[in-house]
Amino acid sequence: MNHKIVGIPRALLYYYDKDLWIEFIKKLGHTPKISSFSNKKHLEEGQKLANDESCLSLKLFLGHINELKDECDMILVPRLFSIKKKEQVCTNFNCLYDLVNNLFDINIINYNIDLTEKESKLMAFLKLGEILGASYIKSYKAYKYAEKISLMKRKKLEQEQAEKLSTSKIKILLAGHPYNLYDELIGKPVCKFLSENEITILYSDRIDHTKIDEECKKLSTDIHWTHSKEVMASINYYQDKVDGIILLSSFPCGPDSLSNELISHKIKECPLITLIFEDLNSEVGVITRLESFIDILKTKKEKIYGKNN
Amino acid sequence: MEKIISFPHLGDYYIPISIFLERTTKLKVIPSPPITKKTIELGAKYSPDSVCVPFKYNLGNFIETLENGANILFTAGGGCRYRYYAEVTEVILRDLNYNFEFYKLFSGDYLNFREVYRLFKKINPKLSLYTFIHNAIYTILFIWQMDKIDKIIRKNIGFEKKKKQHITLKKEMLKKFKSTNSILKLILYYWKYKHLFKKIPIDKPKDCLKVGIIGELYTAMEPFSSYFLEKELANMNIEIKRYTNLSYLLWQKIWLKKHMLRTTKKYCKYTLGADGLDNVYRTIKLINKKYDGIIHTKPFGCTPEVGAIPIIQKICQENNMPILFFSYDVENSNEGMKTRLEAFHDLLKVRREHK
Amino acid sequence: MTKGYLGIDIGSISTKGVIIDAQNNILASTYLWTKGNPIQAVKEVLKDLQKQTKNQDIKIVSVGTTGSARKLIGTILKATIIKNEITAHAVGTLSRYPDVRTIIEIGGQDSKIILIRDGIVTDYAMNTLCAAGTGAFLSSQAKRLDVEVEDFGKIALTSKNPALIAARCTVFAESDLVHKAQIGYKKEDIIAGLCRSVALNYLNNVGKGKKILDPIIFQGGVSKNIGVVKAFEDILKTNVTTDEDGHLMGALGVAILAKKEKEINFSFDIMEGQFETSSINCGSCPNNCEIICVKEGNKLIDAWGNRCDRGKSNIKIEQKE
Repeated sequence: MNHKIVGIPRALLYYYDKDLWIEFIKKLGHTPKISSFSNKKHLEEGQKLANDESCLSLKLFLGHINELKDECDMILVPRLFSIKKKEQVCTNFNCLYDLVNNLFDINIINYNIDLTEKESKLMAFLKLGEILGASYIKSYKAYKYAEKISLMKRKKLEQEQAEKLSTSKIKILLAGHPYNLYDELIGKPVCKFLSENEITILYSDRIDHTKIDEECKKLSTDIHWTHSKEVMASINYYQDKVDGIILLSSFPCGPDSLSNELISHKIKECPLITLIFEDLNSEVGVITRLESFIDILKTKKEKIYGKNN
Repeated sequence: MEKIISFPHLGDYYIPISIFLERTTKLKVIPSPPITKKTIELGAKYSPDSVCVPFKYNLGNFIETLENGANILFTAGGGCRYRYYAEVTEVILRDLNYNFEFYKLFSGDYLNFREVYRLFKKINPKLSLYTFIHNAIYTILFIWQMDKIDKIIRKNIGFEKKKKQHITLKKEMLKKFKSTNSILKLILYYWKYKHLFKKIPIDKPKDCLKVGIIGELYTAMEPFSSYFLEKELANMNIEIKRYTNLSYLLWQKIWLKKHMLRTTKKYCKYTLGADGLDNVYRTIKLINKKYDGIIHTKPFGCTPEVGAIPIIQKICQENNMPILFFSYDVENSNEGMKTRLEAFHDLLKVRREHK
Repeated sequence: MTKGYLGIDIGSISTKGVIIDAQNNILASTYLWTKGNPIQAVKEVLKDLQKQTKNQDIKIVSVGTTGSARKLIGTILKATIIKNEITAHAVGTLSRYPDVRTIIEIGGQDSKIILIRDGIVTDYAMNTLCAAGTGAFLSSQAKRLDVEVEDFGKIALTSKNPALIAARCTVFAESDLVHKAQIGYKKEDIIAGLCRSVALNYLNNVGKGKKILDPIIFQGGVSKNIGVVKAFEDILKTNVTTDEDGHLMGALGVAILAKKEKEINFSFDIMEGQFETSSINCGSCPNNCEIICVKEGNKLIDAWGNRCDRGKSNIKIEQKE
């Protein structure tokens, strides 16, 4: 079997399935190569490639592909349509594979999850394994192993998050798509600022995943984007457990344009701000808004604290 | 309080839709007031800023019709963001303190008859299955025939000898369509008017310019939202081909998927979300049919179209096909659009001369 | 006597006029600010052109207008041809550079790209969103930095280390600029960064997906800024040509187009009368279209701006009354 270097762009779906991918590829005897943390170069290259009206996250993604294109034998770009029954994902994930294929002249490997066409996740990985030269049995074992590891890691994160709730410090829920929350250019500066100000951060994607359907329903019955449901559920679950909520969004995000509006109508008690990141907007504006938001939370907390005494 | 049903606009489709609602629910139906600048201003005022523009039009429609006394609202649903319009719209309207019942015609991407019947049975418990099916067939036929006539109109309206003949005849035809409840009569009317439309005197050169309109569905079907793009093209004596219409979306699209994937194999392996693949397919078709140019319309930030555009651009470049993109939002300058269209027209003319 | 052809380009910021002969040579040209009053601007353009050609025996036999106020001025001047600025620019440029393949044009509020292959316009695009990265944007930033916009290019060239500036949107660009100035970036680096971001922004928006091939001609007000020219050359890694008469190409183009039309009697006095433009709000429906009416004295010359035909009849009724 030929040993291959498989490129993985550190953007978009990476933040959902990274453990699964990495372990799966390793188990089949190949080397995953992950692109570096997002930087201005990624953005600049992405801007050149993407349509002007694409969202910031997609532009970054294309920048990451551009970084990897000469350094790998193949790059993994999955295509998703429906990953849960009766639900869908943002159309960007529908077209990602074909978009990259048309923009770049590189070897792309992919899998496709589309429950409307009876393409399940397991099937997808078996087919992916086949492309990588492994038998179905070997792929199946690798998938099961990778799934176990990724589940374990997630459980650990969920547990850590649950423990954070007991702290007496100010707690803020950072809600948004993980590819924004953990991106070096988008969520990282926000996290850094919050930690410097001694604020405990809870992340929307680290909610107990068994609670998602139930919690999401309380906020929105109709929402059909699987990834947005996670955000919605965490907001509903944490709204009475944290001091404030920060909604992170990249511009122009299709699902967020509607779901953020719904959230802002339904969350009336918990203080909430929305930060929208557009191309290279300066950190100053974001920091100014964050500072004043934290000031509000602090005064509020002091007031309550004062009353208790 | 008297119950009044209403729903947002989409081109001329308000006519068959209101008939259907009227005859199945037996309640009073008043479509939203025609779209005007005020509609979109109202819609934009209460909509989230970065949502795609059809949401803003629909919300504007709802507010205006609620002000007119409607209290049962219908909305369609559909794919992509449309599917989630309803809940957000409802929340916004409730926060504006309106009182109304709100129904979504279908919850998935496609029409589901059983679901729709159950919904109407809830509104009108006396509704018999026969009446429902009869009216459903009537409405579908109405829409289908109207779409077919529209295709003829688009081909010829730019060349009519006496202005406005097509528009007048269409109005007359719709009136006749409306007047009957019999499916047979509806079909007869169609044949009669199809004949009449073909008899309208036109002055059409054999080698006239032909342009295909592709893109997102709302901006294609609601003329107000595209600043009456088709009218402008007709004034330039251009034959227009447009694929998107309600018949296509409701029952033709689903059958075409496999065929589209086959045709676009060179560029696409999967569907691109909403009408993305459809537009790649249409691009290839228009090139094969030797059209002179393509115009692509969409609301600003329309995710599936934005994803498809680089692919469409690539195809057009490879085949040397002129394409013009319009991205509509609340504030667009009409003059700016005209300038671009005029230049596009010049470009097409010059290319013809040099062929 | 030589036959002369007049072309006028009335843009949102500046108004340009040329008179050419049958061989497309420019006999007279003028350029001044529109200052929001196109009628006055054109009056001055005509006066200036008349002065320049006083001693030559020229008879104007055809008139063309282009630019954003093409219709208004075209109506008043009874122009033989009224053309959009994209076509006019292409025709004008082609008359000078027959082998050009890409025209980059950045003006006051618009920017456009025109692709030409074998002397035919094959594709074009215009800016879709806001005025970010156009002339108006640069002037406002110059004011903020307390620099004359004319000096921008020179200053930019002295920079060794251009700052990265976000210029996709005017609002963001301004806040970014303020931020960069506050943390101590050198002025020339900021200005060079601005020039670079104008070029980048243009290529990412207007030029997206277009094959930009040599020879490239850069026109419009912003082409006078050598900083931006250099930024384009750096990014595209090729030569970018600018023309001294680059700002006149629209007017030149429409004059050439006018040449093909039938001849008329034109006199420079045509603008002597009192012209008035007024807008009526139609009011027939809530669209409330703003209809622009041009009147000479009390006579209505033309009206436009209405979406439907009701507007036109409204004006007629008003006229009768």
